[in-house]
Amino acid sequence: MILQHFEDQESGIMNAIKKNPESASPRKKLALETARLGKRLYSNADDLVWAGPLVPFDLLNAMEVTPCFAEFIASILVSTDAGPLFFENAEQAGYASDTCGYHRMLMGSALKGMIPTPKLLISAMSPCTGGLAAMENLARVFKKDLFILHIPQKESDHGVRILANHIRNMAESVSSHTGKVLDKDRLRKAMENTNKTRDILSNIYKLAQQVPSPVNGRDLSNFGIVLPLFFGTEVGIEIAQSFYDELKSRIKANRSGVPGERIRLMWLQNRIQFKNNLVKMLEKEFNASIVIDELNVITWDPIDPEDPYIGLARRSISSPLNGTVERRVKQIVKLAEAYKIDGAINPCHWGCRQGTGARGLIDSSMKEIGVPVLNLEVDCVDPRNFAEGQLITRIEAFMEMIESRPSPW
Amino acid sequence: MITAGIDLGSLSTKVLILEDDDILSTSILTTEEEGALVAKKAMDEAIKKAHISFEELKNIVSTGYGRRLVPFAKESKSEMLCHAKGSHWLFPKARTIIDVGAESSKAIRINEGGAVEDFAGNDKCAAGTGVFLDTMAKALEVPLEEIGQLSLEHKGKAQISSMCAVFAESEVVSHIHKGIPRNDILAGIHESIADRIFGMLNRIGMKNDVVMTGGVAKNIGMVRALEEKLGTKIYVSEYPQMIGALGAALIARNSK
Repeated sequence: MILQHFEDQESGIMNAIKKNPESASPRKKLALETARLGKRLYSNADDLVWAGPLVPFDLLNAMEVTPCFAEFIASILVSTDAGPLFFENAEQAGYASDTCGYHRMLMGSALKGMIPTPKLLISAMSPCTGGLAAMENLARVFKKDLFILHIPQKESDHGVRILANHIRNMAESVSSHTGKVLDKDRLRKAMENTNKTRDILSNIYKLAQQVPSPVNGRDLSNFGIVLPLFFGTEVGIEIAQSFYDELKSRIKANRSGVPGERIRLMWLQNRIQFKNNLVKMLEKEFNASIVIDELNVITWDPIDPEDPYIGLARRSISSPLNGTVERRVKQIVKLAEAYKIDGAINPCHWGCRQGTGARGLIDSSMKEIGVPVLNLEVDCVDPRNFAEGQLITRIEAFMEMIESRPSPW
Repeated sequence: MITAGIDLGSLSTKVLILEDDDILSTSILTTEEEGALVAKKAMDEAIKKAHISFEELKNIVSTGYGRRLVPFAKESKSEMLCHAKGSHWLFPKARTIIDVGAESSKAIRINEGGAVEDFAGNDKCAAGTGVFLDTMAKALEVPLEEIGQLSLEHKGKAQISSMCAVFAESEVVSHIHKGIPRNDILAGIHESIADRIFGMLNRIGMKNDVVMTGGVAKNIGMVRALEEKLGTKIYVSEYPQMIGALGAALIARNSK
């Protein structure tokens, strides 16, 4: 059923582009490649490794295994007709209904046999213990090994060296579970590809900072969290390049992402993964654009292709989702200033430390620079808990409030 | 200039017609049919009371849960903005507004010009709203209009620990079975709501003067419980449930 979903998605996008080549937007390109990734995941043809979001996917891509982070597949499954059924399965199996929807979806679908069996699971101690618990559960369901990557909370030379060694161990573990050997040349090439993608991303984010911004509220949604799946590959470079070219052409044509942009917003943490009208409403009724998603950021230096482990370790440690909230908050404030935002929306995803636990600290730091934060209480994955009318009221009031005050910039 | 504000709430629909600084008429109907229909009926009634024709209305602004369902409104605004405008007009020293309607409760902080500076609301549960109080009144077999006064006559306060509307109801039933006087149970219910609103007020940073709006502000027990919790006087207008419609009419009047 899920394989069919990805096949239909791939052929649908291909046909649409064939019919109208002009419609080949970067967003479609990204959707096409994620559909192809989904096909590989569900075709049983590849060696599959389920991994947490901070695991170095480029290393796994270099080993020619198919890596995917579990939250990604959860967000895909939620859009299928069987989505509600999977949540019910998880709850019937004892997962509390107010825990993270990503993990509930994952467990519910795994129990129904809708998650393909991997050769190995890899989880990091960061960003969340709930994710680690979900991976432990999955490992038990699949009767497969779980490799746990210990990511230090702080970036110190000692911590980086430890993690670098740990990533080496991880690669050896993948090798022993899949029989795939990590070829030095392929690893070097993968790191070169990662660096190219990194540079393009960095340029994309610089373009997005322009006032008015060439991006609209949908262009770069989930971007910083999904694109790492393609790190180390030519496809990753192509996707990034297509976004860069599109934004560049919009700037050249003097076209902003949201026509008549009046309000610039930041979206914290992750987007609402199921279909909803909030972003459209923001654009249409308030000329408001989400110009920056918190996770669309490069926090790491290029990786040395000759000695990649240190660079990979530094990258994982530097993630805004790793370490103290204080570090994350500093990053958010930096982004708010760089993008000159008028306000930030925090969905406060149910059952999530990053989403809800940090909100007071985020609020007070943003207040210091004059940027208001709207805290919603949304289950970003489970549409059964979605009260759109109530959220629209909150967002409308927030927009009215922003309109009535002077810009912080 | 004659303008109107219409507040299409989840339980009642309110219309207020304003001529400059004078309130010409108000109407209030239960929202028990299609939003557009009840909006028209409430508007017809207010027009009749004001002895004007619909064509004399220069501008109409809608608010409330069903604000987008009012076909004759020129624009719609959020409840937060409308309650802020209405409260500030009636109480120019107001800096904090507590709005407790049928299905939502909100805390709003405004500046000296009446502009919204911050707000917070209940998102997950109906506990702490008018519907919640209605359910509790039914469980106690007391008319809703009487629960405020009865709660003031308490000797002790029953503990209502849960902030889930459904679980709170079972707690109330359990208190009834234990023979706890209903006055004490009602006082406990009001106190639990006051605790919840206190949390929202702390989030936005409460400043005096505090005004309460929405139908629940007619409940004297609720107002007193809040005053006790906040340690400050709460100002309530004669018609707290009309403040959203008043704010909408004021916005309509000031709109260019």
